[in-house]
Amino acid sequence: MKEKAIVFDSGAIITFAMNGLLDIFEDLKKEFNGYFLITDEVKKEIVDKPLTIKRFQFEALKIKDLIERRILEFPYKIINKKELDNKTNQLFDILNHAYFARGEFMKIVSKGEISAIALSLLLKEKGIDNVVAIDERTARLLCESPSNLQKIFSYKLHTEVLMKKDISFLKNIKIIRSSELMYFAYKTGLFHLKDHILEALLYAAKYKGCSISFEEIEQMKKL
Amino acid sequence: MEKEHILNVLKEVKEALHDKDSIKLRNLSNETIHAASVEQEKFSIALAVIVYSLSKIIERTNYQKYPAWKAFLKKSLVNLEKASRFLEKDNINKFKESIMEIEKLINSLTGNFKTHVQQVFEKAKINKASRIYEHGVSMERTAELLGITIFELAEYAGKTGISDIDLSMTLPVEKRIKYVADIFK
Repeated sequence: MKEKAIVFDSGAIITFAMNGLLDIFEDLKKEFNGYFLITDEVKKEIVDKPLTIKRFQFEALKIKDLIERRILEFPYKIINKKELDNKTNQLFDILNHAYFARGEFMKIVSKGEISAIALSLLLKEKGIDNVVAIDERTARLLCESPSNLQKIFSYKLHTEVLMKKDISFLKNIKIIRSSELMYFAYKTGLFHLKDHILEALLYAAKYKGCSISFEEIEQMKKL
Repeated sequence: MEKEHILNVLKEVKEALHDKDSIKLRNLSNETIHAASVEQEKFSIALAVIVYSLSKIIERTNYQKYPAWKAFLKKSLVNLEKASRFLEKDNINKFKESIMEIEKLINSLTGNFKTHVQQVFEKAKINKASRIYEHGVSMERTAELLGITIFELAEYAGKTGISDIDLSMTLPVEKRIKYVADIFK
């Protein structure tokens, strides 16, 4: 069997968690027949930190359970941890020195999302087909349209923002969001509810932080 | 932020507090957040949060009925005044300390007023985080900067129009769905 993986950033899992949809991961995993991977940095954001905050303890416990049951896994069976840490640090440095405004480099990303991107690159180097599930906008733009991100910075900061690094090596990373996973789960019949369920799922994802527009939701409903 | 700009913001914040002008305070907080997005200095983020929180407290007049409010406002103004003086003398460390001291004032409060002010500050952090995320800084980096969780920020940001601007849409919907369909094959 050809190895394949979905690498999860924290946001995509949080969207499922905040909507009480984590149980669907188990069914999706059965359909997938590959790895659902998270990094240590992502685990800190979705389990370790929220476990200390009463309001999010329940979601954290549910995610922890997914890890304990190996529905979500760490990648160290297939990727060397040191190699991943090095790649993460290297990317972290490049991306936080990519945009320059008002006389300084903008620190725009953290280790969490970068570790997911680094893992995707390493998996690809090893010939393991993969996609990255990222719900937040910035990391997705860095990979798919760094010039759009530059325009957002310039527009919002009312100043010229320069790109100081070539980050086109990220353009082949395949990014999905929780919304596409929900769409797939719906089309595969993993949800038992009927009547407007797809619309309800996509809006639920959007309102819990998935960076999907109203326009995209309408387009997805028509597919 | 440049020295003159900060001094001007501090001066305007003090005036707005005297005038109980919550709208002006909110605008000043937004002004500060531009710089905070780039510099990501703790004090500029703290200043944006403090000014926004004060705008909220002033807006809700019932908070002002608490006996502790006057003392809280007075001490906040004293710290803002101190911050201005230190900055004028280029004593940056003392300037930053004076700003950070304002949030610490909450610890000296008691009872319901303390709970309300704490809640206002927590909500202000999430609001400011959402603004920084809107400026293009990643969600995780922003949560890290404000000391909040991604859970809180994601929930708040989801209700804003951040994802709906044209520049946020990068791939045709069909293509992204194909990524999922292909990987599940």
